[in-house]
Amino acid sequence: MSEHDEIRDLLSLAAAGALDHEEEQRVAQHLRSCSACATELDSWQSLTSGLRRLATPQPSAGLIERTRAAAAWQFAAEGERRWNQGVILFVVLFAWTLTLATWPLVRLVTGGVMDWLQPGFGHTWTGLVGYTAMVWLTGGIAAGTLAVRRRRERSLT
Amino acid sequence: MSWEGPVGLEAEVAQLRRGDLDALAALLARYQNRLYRYLLRLVRQPATAEDLFQQTWLRVAEKIRHYDSKRSFEAWLFAVARNLAIDHLRRMQPESLDETSPSGMPIHPEPCSAAPPVLDGLVMQERNSRLGAALAELPVFYRDVLTLRFEEEMKLEEIAEVLGTPLSTVKTRLRRSLEGLRRTLEMRYPGEDWLGRMGRAGQ
Repeated sequence: MSEHDEIRDLLSLAAAGALDHEEEQRVAQHLRSCSACATELDSWQSLTSGLRRLATPQPSAGLIERTRAAAAWQFAAEGERRWNQGVILFVVLFAWTLTLATWPLVRLVTGGVMDWLQPGFGHTWTGLVGYTAMVWLTGGIAAGTLAVRRRRERSLT
Repeated sequence: MSWEGPVGLEAEVAQLRRGDLDALAALLARYQNRLYRYLLRLVRQPATAEDLFQQTWLRVAEKIRHYDSKRSFEAWLFAVARNLAIDHLRRMQPESLDETSPSGMPIHPEPCSAAPPVLDGLVMQERNSRLGAALAELPVFYRDVLTLRFEEEMKLEEIAEVLGTPLSTVKTRLRRSLEGLRRTLEMRYPGEDWLGRMGRAGQ
């Protein structure tokens, strides 16, 4: 391919401002001695300047308002989701701490002092598992009830 | 772009990441026209563009915490919009995203007769209308790169970021898009020196 043909292939990109420095230099040098390529570049520049002048369609005010409202709602929902995740993590940690901390008291009240002092796997651990299940079941029912009530309140508003 | 542009933009993005709804409104106002125009160029249907416009901002609200602030927000925003638009087009027309004839021409460009306008303003309007129509006939990947370069005035590096392609691919696609657009115009308006007249009308 001749220098002329190579430069001609670059003219559309030259009009688009998409050449690197070295290519720009080559094109500029060639154009000084080639009127055909200079005319061709003018044509490409007419096309690219036409593209820059195309009318900009405007979105309707209603669309902007709807989008703003929907995005704000989405944003709030995301915030609430993150907050709920934090609350669940806190509740789980709190529940475990409470369960383990109150377990000796439960054993004391239920007369398992000797088991506590001499833990046999069978009774002590079965009791702990049963107690944990009871505490978590109670907590789960309470949390579920609150969530249902909150959802009802939100649907009413 | 003024020196306040990027600084204001960065502040708004940072505020949005902290959960400030006013920042969301500010960013929406800043990009509403450009983003809508870009989506309209991609999908061509105003109703679809409106739907995608809304989806884009919902996605922004959902994903802003995952946005890497070292990247250009503008490129990220347009990439989000583009991905939604391309997904939509794939669902609607799964086999026609690259629809061209074997010669690389868009399919069925119909020659039109030209009525020579009298006033320069009308000439310009007519030329812009023809150019817009020819642009709309190009395959979506060509419309995509042309609108990002000439209407959004993005740098090639930013376009590469939006498209998720190497810089060399952007340049190749840009060159092919311009050539395709020129061929389309020459086929639609045969025998017209439309390029020269457009240049003179714009002066």
